[in-house]
Amino acid sequence: MSGWTTVRVVAAREITVKLRDKAFLGSTLFLLLLVIAATVIPVLISNQTPSIRVAVQGQAAAEVVERAAELGAEAQQPDADLPPALLMLGAPGLPAADVTAVEVEPEGDAAALVESGDVAAALLGERITDLRLVGSEAVPVELEALVRAAANEVQVAGAAAEAGLSAAEVRSLTTPATPEVVLLDAQPASVVPPQLLVLLFAFLFYLSVLTFGMSIAQSVVEEKQSRVVELLVAAVPVRWLLAGKVLGNTLMAVGQIVVILGAGLLAATLAGQGRLVEVVLGASGWFVLFFLLGFTMLACLWAAAGALASRVEDLNSTTIFMQVLVIAPFFAAIFAIDPGPTQRVLSYVPFTAPLLMPARVVLDNAEPWEPVVAALVVLGTAGLFVVLGTRLYERSVLHTASRLTARDAWRRGLR
Amino acid sequence: MPEELTLSGVTRTFGDRTALEDVSFTVRPGRMTGFVGANGAGKTTAMRIIMGVLSPDSGRVELGGTELDLGMRRRFGYMPEERGLYPKMKVAEQLVYLGRVHGLGGATARQRAGALLELLGLEDRSEDLLQTLSLGNQQRVQVAAALVHEPTLLVLDEPFSGLDPIAVDAMAEILRLRAAAGVPVLFSSHQLELVERLCDDVVIIDHGRVVAAGEADGLRTERAGRRLRLRVDPFPEDPATGPASDPAALAEAPSGVAAFLDQVPGVSLHAHDGTVVVVDLAEDADDQALLAEAQRHGLVREMSPVLPTLAEIFREAVR
Repeated sequence: MSGWTTVRVVAAREITVKLRDKAFLGSTLFLLLLVIAATVIPVLISNQTPSIRVAVQGQAAAEVVERAAELGAEAQQPDADLPPALLMLGAPGLPAADVTAVEVEPEGDAAALVESGDVAAALLGERITDLRLVGSEAVPVELEALVRAAANEVQVAGAAAEAGLSAAEVRSLTTPATPEVVLLDAQPASVVPPQLLVLLFAFLFYLSVLTFGMSIAQSVVEEKQSRVVELLVAAVPVRWLLAGKVLGNTLMAVGQIVVILGAGLLAATLAGQGRLVEVVLGASGWFVLFFLLGFTMLACLWAAAGALASRVEDLNSTTIFMQVLVIAPFFAAIFAIDPGPTQRVLSYVPFTAPLLMPARVVLDNAEPWEPVVAALVVLGTAGLFVVLGTRLYERSVLHTASRLTARDAWRRGLR
Repeated sequence: MPEELTLSGVTRTFGDRTALEDVSFTVRPGRMTGFVGANGAGKTTAMRIIMGVLSPDSGRVELGGTELDLGMRRRFGYMPEERGLYPKMKVAEQLVYLGRVHGLGGATARQRAGALLELLGLEDRSEDLLQTLSLGNQQRVQVAAALVHEPTLLVLDEPFSGLDPIAVDAMAEILRLRAAAGVPVLFSSHQLELVERLCDDVVIIDHGRVVAAGEADGLRTERAGRRLRLRVDPFPEDPATGPASDPAALAEAPSGVAAFLDQVPGVSLHAHDGTVVVVDLAEDADDQALLAEAQRHGLVREMSPVLPTLAEIFREAVR
């Protein structure tokens, strides 16, 4: 039987166990919902166009509301020139709204309609200078803004017409030209704030390495504690066992990340955020690569931490170093959340590179060669740690009697 | 073609404690070999060395003259002293996994696991988690784990401990079948009667040294001292002369038939029960003289050498 077959069989068991683990399934589901909710809810909120019914009484009121409805509808047209981030946060200027006018006869009681809640507000007035916007407890802010703008336009148009200006002159008065903004060193428009993206990558990596690292350590110590390991090492080389464990858990970790990211992207697509999807997809290649490298870098050390324990209860103390090795870079990455020299340096440090370098790629403040170099640095460190972790694992996995320190394990004979 | 397992000059120390010292013995194909020794004598260490879980400081472990490597060991069946299975894995799945780790294909492993569970009467527990089974049943699964890949050699550390008598018989039957199929079977046990009943060969180890090894029957004959068992019935009473024996002689030797012993030099009484006496003969004692003397005292119905039990040999050897 080839080594690869054994590794596959061992990895398959790790995966099966994980897939049946209710805690794992539960946490994955929770993360899924969290990501979907985080993607969809803000989009839904920002995309929702309020529908507002307005009671109208009087000729000027009718004219103004008609214009307000036009303005509200215009604001719903996406402006291609505006960066999507701004679109998401709401375009500057007029709010989008569907304004419906409800005409009230001159002798009708518009106030009663407002009181009854049938309409959101009422605009009353025969003359443009004499308009009253009546609300119950408050007037919808969108409506107020639209009505103000519409009233302005109508008055300016009226005054201009009286002054005998041409239609073009009227238009230039009511919609004056604004200066065009030109950026000489323009960054591509980010859909989400860059800090949020760094945070998202850091958090996913941190969570995944901690969960699956712990799961590797646990799987190792379980075999030690139940003594299955004695059966296993009599049948297969210890390295294959380790490789199978690491492979199985790496696949699960990457799989979980891909599923979560995929769900988030799908949700974003469905919610009409195509641009966000493009940006994240563009970075996800680097993100997955760095994730893989970073995860592998620590995986064998996690296995060694598990092998140093003799019982599950020992894990807390034998994995403490590993936990620090994951948590400290996470906070360092948060600390270096703003682009700058610190972020640049940390994006080359093997522990923080998987957190920061993909984020820099997304933000486009990394030269094309930078992620390659950082990946090589992480790869080199991973090689070193695999050798170190394998040696510690090999030398401690059969020592079932008591907890070992890394130093003892390093010095022990093989068998 | 089954081959024999040979340990030659195996020594292993842990720190300054010598667990095994120059241990040599053979486990022959088609035979059950019992591995007997007190706690801490080195049985488990020797078995772990055979399985490659430990390595010897010196000495060789060979199968058919070839030093063992992992590829050969993968085909061995092993039951470790501290049982080892996944508590939270389903019984059948566990066996399939271990079968696959030992090199079986998926379909073969599933088929063998199913057959073994049926043989062990556990087919209705195959979908249960191991930890929900009773200890006895867990042990059966452990046996199945050692057998699932149809091993070329069986190394079982205390396979009978914790089993009820019926389970012991069932387990013994399974091992005997394997041995009959030509597989060398080595198992350790504290239950000497069981070893005596089951084993063709015995290895006795004490403080890391082999003190006796070989065929069980041969060992018993070899270790039999000059102990004889005699059954001597009294002469029938002669109505004419009255009691057969001289009342005065009886008074000197109240133990009845044992009275003749004093007449033969070098004979000492070991045990006496009714008409049966067990005697030990000194090196120079003449068993024919004893027979003649016995015949003068009664009707000799039986005179035979007494073979020591394994337990006796063991106690003798480890004293």
